Amino acid sequence: MQDWSKISRMPANNIKKLQDELLSKIVQDEIFSNHPYYSNLFKSQGLDPTAIKGRSDLDNIPFTSKQDMLSSEHDPERAKRFILQVPEGLKSTPKPKKFALLGRKCAEPDPTEYRMSQLFYTKGNDLDPIPIVYTRYDLNNLEETGTRLNDILNLKRDDTMLNAFSYAPHISVWQLFHSAMTLGATALHSGGGRVLGMEKIILAMNNMGAPVLVSHPLFVLATLQTMLRQKTDAPSLERVIIGMDYAPMVVVESIKELMLQCKAANNLVQRVYFLSMAKAGFAECSPGFGYHLNPDQILVEIINPQTGKSLGEGEKGEIVITNLDSRGTLVLRFRTGDLTTGGLSSEPCPNCGHTVPRILGDIEHRHDYYDLISEKASVVFNGNALRRYMFGCKDVLAWHAEIVSKNGNDSLNITVKPAGGINEEELATKLQNDIREEHRLAVAVKKGSYEAITNKIGLESGISVKQIFDLRQ
Amino acid sequence: MEKWEVLCKTPYKEIRQMQDRKLRAFICNQVSIYSPYYSNIMKKQDIDPYKIKGIDDLKYLPFTYKWDIAPNAENPQRHKDFVIRPDEEVSEKYGHFAKMSMSTGKELIEQKIYDYKPVHIHFTTGRTALPTPFVYTKRDVENLRESSCRLLDVFEVCGDDITVNCFPFAPHLAFWTVYFAADTLNSPVFHSGGGKIVGTSKLMDAFEFLRPSVAVFIPGYCYYFLREAVKQKRDFSSLKKIFFGGERVPPGLKEKIKELLKQLGAEEVMVLAVYGLTESKVGWGECPSHEKYHGYHLYPDLEVIEIVDPESGEPLGEGEDGEIVYTSLDWRGTCVVRYRTGDIARGGISYEPCPNCGRTVPRISSVIERKSEFKEFNMTKIKGTLVNLNNFFPLMMSHPDLEEWQVEIRKRNNDPFDLDEIYLYVTKKPDVDEENLTADLKQKIIRETEVSVTNIIYLPLDKLVGQLGMETELKEKRIVDNRPTG
Repeated sequence: MQDWSKISRMPANNIKKLQDELLSKIVQDEIFSNHPYYSNLFKSQGLDPTAIKGRSDLDNIPFTSKQDMLSSEHDPERAKRFILQVPEGLKSTPKPKKFALLGRKCAEPDPTEYRMSQLFYTKGNDLDPIPIVYTRYDLNNLEETGTRLNDILNLKRDDTMLNAFSYAPHISVWQLFHSAMTLGATALHSGGGRVLGMEKIILAMNNMGAPVLVSHPLFVLATLQTMLRQKTDAPSLERVIIGMDYAPMVVVESIKELMLQCKAANNLVQRVYFLSMAKAGFAECSPGFGYHLNPDQILVEIINPQTGKSLGEGEKGEIVITNLDSRGTLVLRFRTGDLTTGGLSSEPCPNCGHTVPRILGDIEHRHDYYDLISEKASVVFNGNALRRYMFGCKDVLAWHAEIVSKNGNDSLNITVKPAGGINEEELATKLQNDIREEHRLAVAVKKGSYEAITNKIGLESGISVKQIFDLRQ
Repeated sequence: MEKWEVLCKTPYKEIRQMQDRKLRAFICNQVSIYSPYYSNIMKKQDIDPYKIKGIDDLKYLPFTYKWDIAPNAENPQRHKDFVIRPDEEVSEKYGHFAKMSMSTGKELIEQKIYDYKPVHIHFTTGRTALPTPFVYTKRDVENLRESSCRLLDVFEVCGDDITVNCFPFAPHLAFWTVYFAADTLNSPVFHSGGGKIVGTSKLMDAFEFLRPSVAVFIPGYCYYFLREAVKQKRDFSSLKKIFFGGERVPPGLKEKIKELLKQLGAEEVMVLAVYGLTESKVGWGECPSHEKYHGYHLYPDLEVIEIVDPESGEPLGEGEDGEIVYTSLDWRGTCVVRYRTGDIARGGISYEPCPNCGRTVPRISSVIERKSEFKEFNMTKIKGTLVNLNNFFPLMMSHPDLEEWQVEIRKRNNDPFDLDEIYLYVTKKPDVDEENLTADLKQKIIRETEVSVTNIIYLPLDKLVGQLGMETELKEKRIVDNRPTG
């Protein structure tokens, strides 16, 4: 990867030129000769790798979807075909010493650049998790992207950090680990709710006097709500970093408000977008200013999810990524299934001045859009919008929704745990009316216990939560 | 830190001199000044740190017990007193140095931050006390990296080995030792987080995807995992070595594991154990051998291990059974001196070169029992016996007719003043006669533990697995004390 101090101040045109060079280089030098899936694809479709000279030629390459990478009983090796192989010429070079204690750097050329070091998986929201191979080269990049995160988030060495992401072999946990390690900040990688549990995380946060708490939005909300209920203050808390799950602006505001109620020292909330295939997390310097990308690591396109057509700056669409500087698992034009509501911007950030491209708005999940039938008409139900609305309902402590089908008509059953001192009937009527109006669906609201709801959505047991369940056959 | 290759060939006499030298410097220059707990205790007990000239003088220092460090409700920050940290007065002095020097001042401060600023935290598992944090500075992380590589060196693992780390993810030494070892050696690894995180079936898929040569497990979960794999007819033929950590490994279990591995297509697998403590901040490995266990190889430049009489606390000689007492050497972050581990080494410590690998570093015996699992039973109404619960492990783990087991200690009628009862829950292997097994277990238990079980209850495997918390707990609950307190 390039020098961040230079690339983060580079004019947009130069960044585009650099991306063109990197794209043509990786396609010609690495992918065409060493990537089993794409070399085969290029050959079978008669694609000339030397014709890929830059972004404008990307349209010639077909998209890659998650299904393309998913191994099955019939094809158990599919995920392996996306791993860049050791180039023929390097296979015969002498290997590093058997026990090179602390000898982390080897002389070039080095086959370890291509050999697996660690294995992560995608989160597996909609499909089975896909394995993603990291080589030493990728892990070095992970340290670099960790440093960049620290810069964008403006984290300092004195910031004690409580990493409360639920442990999974996933980019989020490990990006945070490398970020804290390169910074030299004191950090507890707790494993989150599924390892330590919320009670111990609250205890650890206050015992450590940690000013920085990192987790997925709903876990942070629930933690702060629990602290309020228990009348426990968070005097040391200054900053919350959220990611791993849907994090619209409304949840940022809710967390800020709760932080004040918990007597936190400050109420800064920042968002990070973790993308498994990009092998990095991208942060906003301040909420609403966009996720700052690493243009020397990935190339981002925004496309129309229906037609696959590339969209212009600022247009809402699906995020598609191409690895520009990666080894191990490597993808071209990978459809992430994530939708940005604000599109892409290559203008310098008005807040921090970094010139790298930014993904603006909220990031929605395509798998949370459902094609339903209501009163014999087709309705597209946007589960993201429901989640956004519920995040803003301060009278609801926890909830989940079920999509059910009866007599050919689809409807929503919503179970809520109202906050204390709330007129439950009024709340149910309000929810019913608001949701019916926005989504044009029949809605039934019932009351549930906090424990039953949080267990069902996997607040502490999952790596993120699932709040909408499709129960149609 | 010394060079491991050199250390492994240094005669013990020279190792001892090196340890004396390091201990002297560590106690005088770090512990007695920068460790709030020890500087306070030395002042209180009027101990002159300069009197500690070597290991033989350790006896002048008091023991440290788990409860001295563990936070409690009155003092939740107690563990911080064990962190080596220059106080404000000292920091001011360094600040003064920094101000004096324009060119090297910054370097000096960076060096101090490298030495003393905590960056990484582990917790004790809290089996016998409240979880206690142990902090590592950057310098300590380098020590951890080096010691983890030494562990792999003892185990003869090289950069080409593919490893699956099945330790449960937690801020615990076991998981992170594997992480730092693989990262430093740049050896391919999958840190799964254990069955609790990825699920047993997905973990098996990962084994088949990666074809690992090395797998690292908590022993009880390994046994369960391999049995499930046999049922699903998985192919684990790539496995060459299995390492256990987090719990003691009864020899009978190693044989059972090897038997299961054979059924999975893996022949001649080496099953080895790691012994480590959160307090020691490193793990030590057994020398690989199929026939005999040659003990855990220590890192004498990073610690001093004494073996003492568990009752009197008197230091014992080479080869004598006794409690393992740990003293940090040349660490920063959280450091303990003469820490009573509560672990009993049967066969104590040996200073002879290892007959298997020839390394000259000291070794502690492979047979280690946990003293904290000795529990006093109120059995006076029957016959009054001190029961060594450790004895259940080798007996049950190696019993050929058992799939799983759990011991519950309870009170008759759930009355705190009534008699103690021992319930044994078991799942038998198919085609085993229940009546014969019951008789056999009753007889063996009374012989090994000197108590008789009140009841033996047969459960289906899935129920007992759930009861053990095999996929939900960090460590399975083998022995459960459900006695109500009075």
